[in-house]
Amino acid sequence: MSTATTSAPVSVEHRPRLVSSELLKVTSTKMWLGMLVGVVIFIAIGIASSIFAPEQPGFAQPRLTTPEGIRNLFANAGGAYLFAIIIGALGMTQELRHQTLTSTLLSEPHRNKVTGAKMAAYFVIGAFYGLIGVIVGYAMAFALLPLKEHTDISVTALWQIAGGAILGSGLFAVLGVAVGTLVRNQIAAILGILVWVLVIEQLVVTFLPKIGKWLPGGALAGVLQTTGANGTTYLPIWGGALVLLGYTALFATVAALTTQRRDVT
Amino acid sequence: MTHAAQLTAGAVASGGSLGQPVEVVGLTKMFGSVLAVDDLSFTVAPGRVTGFLGPNGAGKTTTLRCLLGLVAPTPGSATIGGKRYDQIGTPIRTVGSALEATGFHPGRSAINHLRIVARSGGVDERRADVTLSLVGLTDSAGRSVGGFSLGMRQRLQLAAALLGDPGVLVLDEPANGLDPEGIAWLRSFLRHLAGEGRTVLVSSHVLSEVEQTVDDVVIIARGHLVRACPLTELTEATHGVVVRTPQLAELTAALAAAPGVTVVPQADGSVVVRGADAAAVGRAALTAQVELHELRAATSDLEQVFLSLTGGATS
Ligand SMILES: Nc1ncnc2c1ncn2[C@@H]1O[C@H](COP(=O)(O)OP(=O)(O)O)[C@@H](O)[C@H]1O
Ligand SMILES: [Mg+2]
Repeated sequence: MSTATTSAPVSVEHRPRLVSSELLKVTSTKMWLGMLVGVVIFIAIGIASSIFAPEQPGFAQPRLTTPEGIRNLFANAGGAYLFAIIIGALGMTQELRHQTLTSTLLSEPHRNKVTGAKMAAYFVIGAFYGLIGVIVGYAMAFALLPLKEHTDISVTALWQIAGGAILGSGLFAVLGVAVGTLVRNQIAAILGILVWVLVIEQLVVTFLPKIGKWLPGGALAGVLQTTGANGTTYLPIWGGALVLLGYTALFATVAALTTQRRDVT
Repeated sequence: MTHAAQLTAGAVASGGSLGQPVEVVGLTKMFGSVLAVDDLSFTVAPGRVTGFLGPNGAGKTTTLRCLLGLVAPTPGSATIGGKRYDQIGTPIRTVGSALEATGFHPGRSAINHLRIVARSGGVDERRADVTLSLVGLTDSAGRSVGGFSLGMRQRLQLAAALLGDPGVLVLDEPANGLDPEGIAWLRSFLRHLAGEGRTVLVSSHVLSEVEQTVDDVVIIARGHLVRACPLTELTEATHGVVVRTPQLAELTAALAAAPGVTVVPQADGSVVVRGADAAAVGRAALTAQVELHELRAATSDLEQVFLSLTGGATS
């Protein structure tokens, strides 16, 4: 095909065109910055309250003077996953809400490619949130810890938590895209995610850890190797990672299948 | 006009794959129990502007969405240059389209909207600036689309359709929301694109809106094809000669000798003769010694013809 001779040739082929288009969708509106501010505030509050919260009698959280306690403190840096899953769901549902899905599918009619590119892009966004969360969380923890009696955290644990937070947030963002594909209504999707992550999962993971550790949030606790009330432990790191990957793969597949032939009107 | 100059600049960038025919064959679409499109067949030729016409709810948007792979036909086919939309690699370089109920993120700038489309469609992002200036939106490039008027959104849709410098344009009600000046601009724009050999398919629910733009019409009502013909065939139907005579049979016989002449009796006792002018009818009457009580040329409104065509299908 002959292309243009003018300053603006029509055709270009750069392979990750779909992923890069999805990333431009995210960075060309302000929402992702707002969510990033949310990540910073949420993690700052988590770290501060872990350090300064009074001990609760009868419902013993491990103390900062124990290896479990200090690990739990740093694991607050993994809190970006909540924002990652929400931005993933928003990214998908706003295409329906603002009816931009039509132009998306006109540019690339192969829907699996579009879904795949969106998930890849949101993995990057989620992982970026995870990274910022780790930087902010670690900086605050190291700044405030000298104010309290505490034990030291191992370098290995710091790397494990950082890796888990970044990958975990990336995977949760992909889960968010899948949830948005399945639920479609923006408000319903976001409310559903908030109720699930902040209420249902918290209750099950806390009070029924034998079941809770198999849920996505419980699996993330395994990846971060936190310790629950009264010394409850979750899956090993690799186990948690596998469960989280499994959920992501399952939801991504179901989402891709349901969009395959759906009419876009 | 500056637009015309820019238009030519845009045309130079043409990909060379101009003018592919659009073919719709036996297209049917049910939404649940609603039959939106019913066994519809027509073709759209390159190098011409084709008006896709029908009242609201006739099935125009649904047909175009089937053509563009957004809605699955049940059954039937719609192809562009013989290919289904999803079989065309990087389709926006072949088919540019602007559909009804296509939106914009209100917080995103016009130029970024176009860059996103260009990037995912494999089109050089500098085309975003080119097409924005083609539609006269350069000054609003950095503004959020949330503050755009309906007319500006229509222009932005058109800019998006032109990104890939496509040989086929599919525009759904592009004149909606445009002011008279905008409609005149759109008219010359579409004529120019067809003049370059491109296939241009524009839908509208008002014939008069596109009357001066289109070469061919495809008229549908309730999902059915009513008429597919050159516009001139419809225009001819608007010209007639009103005749009143006590010797109708003799006159009809006299006129029947001439080819292509029809005599249509009217409710008020007169007849309308089509295919001949008043002079020819008068001469025929004189020769046949037919007494005339009235003889005058009459032109009915094209929109009236359109309404009677589409109204007929709904009764
Ligand atoms: N997603 C949908 N679900 C159900 N009915 C629909 C849907 N889209 C269109 N229709 C129906 O199909 C018919 C044709 O609609 P449409 O193609 O939008 O007509 P037009 O564009 O000619 O105004 C209408 O009766 C409309 O109500
Ligand atoms: Mg319509």
